[in-house]
Amino acid sequence: MSNYQEMAIAKALNAGMRKAMQKDEKVLVFGEDVARLGGVFRVTEGLLAEFGENRIFNSPIAESGIVGTAIGLAMRGYRSVAEIQFDGFVFPAFNQITTQLARLTYRSEGYQQMPVVIRIPVGGGIGAVEHHSESPEAYFAHTPGLRIVSPSSPNDAYWMIQQAIESPDPVIFLEPKRRYWQKGPVNLDTAPLPLHSARLLKEGTDLTLIAHGPMVATALQAAELGAEEGVSIEVIDLRSLAPVDYPTLLASVQKTSRVVIAQEAPNNVSLSSEIAARIAEQAYYYLEAPVVRVVVLTLHIHPQNSKRSIFLMQTAFWRPLIGFWLTRETR
Amino acid sequence: MTPVTDPMLQLLAPDGSYGVEKSFALYGEVIDSLDEDQLKTFYRDMARIRRFDQEAIALQRQGQLGLWVPAIGQEAAQIGSGYAVGKNDHIFPSYREHGVAITHGVELMSILKMMRGVNHGGWNPEETRFHLYAIVLGSQVLHAVGYAMGVKLDGKVGTGDLENDLAVISYFGDGATAEGDVSESLLFAAVNEAPIVFFIQNNQWAISSNIASQTKVPLYRRGEGFGVPGLRVDGNDVLACYAATKMHMDEAREGKGPYLLEALTYRIGAHTTSDDPTKYRDDSEVEYWKARDPIARFEVFLRRQGVEDSFFDEVAVAGDELARDIREQTFALPKPPLESIFDNVYSDEHPEIDIQRAWLRAYEDQMGSHE
Amino acid sequence: MSIAKFPLPDVGEGLTEAEIVSWRVSPGDKVEVNQTICEIETAKSVVELPCPFEGEVSELLAAEGDTVEVGTPIIAVTVKGNAPLLTEMDAPAAEPGDTGAEYQLPNLVGYGDSGEVKSRRKRAVNTAPISTAIPVSMVTAAATADSVMAKPPIRKLAKELGVDLASVTGTGMHGEITREDVVGSASQASVFKNLTTPQQPSEREERLPVKGVRKAIATAMVKSAFTAPHVSIFVDVDATRTMEYVKRLKASVDFAGIKVTPLLIMAKAMIWAVRRNPMVNSTWTDKEIIVHNFVNLGIAAATPRGLIVPNIKDADSMNMLELAQAIEQLAATAREGKTTPEDMAEGTITITNIGVFGVDTGTPILNPGEVSIVALGSIRKKPWVVDDEIVVRNITTIGATFDHRVVDGDVASRFVQDVASVIEEPALLLD
Repeated sequence: MSNYQEMAIAKALNAGMRKAMQKDEKVLVFGEDVARLGGVFRVTEGLLAEFGENRIFNSPIAESGIVGTAIGLAMRGYRSVAEIQFDGFVFPAFNQITTQLARLTYRSEGYQQMPVVIRIPVGGGIGAVEHHSESPEAYFAHTPGLRIVSPSSPNDAYWMIQQAIESPDPVIFLEPKRRYWQKGPVNLDTAPLPLHSARLLKEGTDLTLIAHGPMVATALQAAELGAEEGVSIEVIDLRSLAPVDYPTLLASVQKTSRVVIAQEAPNNVSLSSEIAARIAEQAYYYLEAPVVRVVVLTLHIHPQNSKRSIFLMQTAFWRPLIGFWLTRETR
Repeated sequence: MTPVTDPMLQLLAPDGSYGVEKSFALYGEVIDSLDEDQLKTFYRDMARIRRFDQEAIALQRQGQLGLWVPAIGQEAAQIGSGYAVGKNDHIFPSYREHGVAITHGVELMSILKMMRGVNHGGWNPEETRFHLYAIVLGSQVLHAVGYAMGVKLDGKVGTGDLENDLAVISYFGDGATAEGDVSESLLFAAVNEAPIVFFIQNNQWAISSNIASQTKVPLYRRGEGFGVPGLRVDGNDVLACYAATKMHMDEAREGKGPYLLEALTYRIGAHTTSDDPTKYRDDSEVEYWKARDPIARFEVFLRRQGVEDSFFDEVAVAGDELARDIREQTFALPKPPLESIFDNVYSDEHPEIDIQRAWLRAYEDQMGSHE
Repeated sequence: MSIAKFPLPDVGEGLTEAEIVSWRVSPGDKVEVNQTICEIETAKSVVELPCPFEGEVSELLAAEGDTVEVGTPIIAVTVKGNAPLLTEMDAPAAEPGDTGAEYQLPNLVGYGDSGEVKSRRKRAVNTAPISTAIPVSMVTAAATADSVMAKPPIRKLAKELGVDLASVTGTGMHGEITREDVVGSASQASVFKNLTTPQQPSEREERLPVKGVRKAIATAMVKSAFTAPHVSIFVDVDATRTMEYVKRLKASVDFAGIKVTPLLIMAKAMIWAVRRNPMVNSTWTDKEIIVHNFVNLGIAAATPRGLIVPNIKDADSMNMLELAQAIEQLAATAREGKTTPEDMAEGTITITNIGVFGVDTGTPILNPGEVSIVALGSIRKKPWVVDDEIVVRNITTIGATFDHRVVDGDVASRFVQDVASVIEEPALLLD
């Protein structure tokens, strides 16, 4: 009998980090305001009291410095869990992440592993000002040497943060900030899946809907609306954005012949673009309709949009799109 | 030209005469503890690294290397500081510290391989304690600070146990001091009291930008605002470089916190073999600094100490042998197998790498390998 | 002793050519390794070139003032024995990396663009197309029962031709269904059938005697047409659900091996409509109208000898399966020419299936002794209005002719409307 506990995503992350820190004394947690305050989203609450200031500490407001020193600590045998306070502020660290963190293992021909996790709250919908609602995954997915994951549920959050910390490779860990307080059951005993596996959340026969992070809950709502209209939508949570679990996606496309990929990020040259291209390439003979990416907008996140339907793809906007790509005919 | 009016540690004048100013007495004591063999080693290695440099430039001009980064003129700063680094200390170079490399057993051929495109360095940073060359200016300084923070977390600072305690030395140039990462490094080092010495080789030119455009205040004072004290040393004086580095690495290891050394030297050669310095600086300036050559002055000093001709002849012959050896080894360098491009992108298994490797194999099978 | 040639290197990370400014040596001079042999000017700077060889200058291969491309030999030097570099650049077919066979080309820049050309590639050893994409084997091999492999344009063609891809075998390179496969499978609605037209006969006319079946047909038609007042009415109906129902029946185990077509549903519809409108299932004699409480359902069958109308006795007492079997049996018997006079006697109402010939509808002539005949036309995709929107549906026209001595307009209309409603919604048969 598995041991289940109901938790919000933020608490699940906290519990997962706690467990990782208990298991391995080389795990460090640092970033802006993570220590006494417990992080601006309270994800690291209580860790300072339990582990002390040598293992969890505040960093100066210098994102490049946070990642650069995490790299040096990795060279010294530590496993850093560095927090970047908001998605829009990761860019000062972009150089260290892409030219150094992603490459040191390659450059050193394997002599230097980079077990660094960079945790970043991402996505919109919390009514915030500029730079607090971004989805930067494409920049990192384009960089070889990095792994990128994004949990959508408390159970995934609890296990994926631990798996990410255990990885010998750098992991960009994207946390859907508007879902931090979404609750769900956490199985405290058994991990659901390997870190880079996608998950079939809902079976369907007419269309495959692929989503990640904050979009997963929205996708499930879309599937419910679809069911009301007689459209059977299969929903897949990517979970891992680099590498993407293509075998799972392709098996689904083979079954349904229609694909819609959903994300918050600007559409042009996005992660969805890559997935769409790959599916079109490899599932060509199984497709009944073109592979569609939603949403079709390529814009800066406007405060109006951040909380409003169009940009965040609330399901009402999806219905015509999905309806357009489906027919009532039998295949 | 940088007017040398700020206090500067110099034990060996350009004319080869040795003298210790009263305020620098402690540094003089460090030199007093050196014996003749150690001094000869300094000379031998400075000459060796210069000969290596010259051969590498020729090899590049002969199409054997993509480019070469000469350190000519900076031998004293590199050999002197290199030998002062403690036996457990870690070194974070930029991309011109060939002299420091040989003080820590890094094969010269490794550096050549990098410039020939065989790999990105490929020596073992943990074993040699000499980390890989870093090409993004200033990026490695943060790594050095992180490493030093880790050393402190390990408790290997200031215990008095010289068998286990260690410090970190971070090399970078005058141009790199403008990069934001360097400022962030000074900040992190200071607030964490990290055991690190920042060693700036101020060779006064960043490609074609003179030091005057990189800083308004002498670089040894760069750390002041962050809480990192500093000292300027004569970068062409191997003894001053040795003494300053030894003293401040010892202090860092003892837990006194970070320190900054500015070695004032001169880049006699070009930035790299792609560069043409005649386009932006005066020959007269170069001549001025050639007259302050680190190897020449040290030879004068050693001769005054009674070192014989035979030693210098032997060093010259060893230099020619080294050059021949490097040349032969360079031509014998094999092309790495094409498939090695997939190695170590990740530490763990990765499906995309497997797919790509399989694709290349299939492609090569169809076309017939041209390796 | 051999001749070593020194090709002009790329001295500045991406340069493609240089000008020889001045030579510092001449033929006959002895040269040492690293001795300066010339000065060159590139786009970036003026550079002295050191000699890679030790020996005697044999020839200067470029003149002062010449602009030379990177990779072109500029000097030839006679060297002793096996220098690390030797022989001419145009030595045949030697791979770089062979010991001492050729001037080494390093990985990094060194020789810029022209270096690429010298790297020889063998011809492709087999002619199968190289996949520039990630291997298609990534797609899981376990195809489900539902999955059909066909390129999107072929799927579209199949839909247009009314071909069910699940029933087509693919002959494409990867096992997918090709255009030819689809066209070959296209049946009823195909435009590719019946394309052969016979030649004009050579005689000017052919005379056929009127006798046998033809005479009987003629007699019956005249009797019918010129005694009973014929009225025809038509209704267009959405037969999509009938088509779906037919498909389901086809797929069901009970109907395996039995031919199931919309005709079956039409037959059932008529039998049901007859119960509701009994007058249409009767016979006129001058004295009385005989209303039959059973249905002997006639099915017009085209045979080589002509049109005959055998009927299924007591079709109203049969279930769907029995009716389907009876229809199949009736058609087979007619094709074999074995229909008996008993089979053709005592029919009460008839269906004529002109849809199989691609015809939308018509005004059929009553079978003598009957007062109604229904024409089942072709079932075609047409635009239709559903919930105020235009959608594509399978539409058919039900045409029927009635004897106005017995069946008035309202009865006729109700009957045809009843048939139409079943065609539109076969679930009404559950009544």
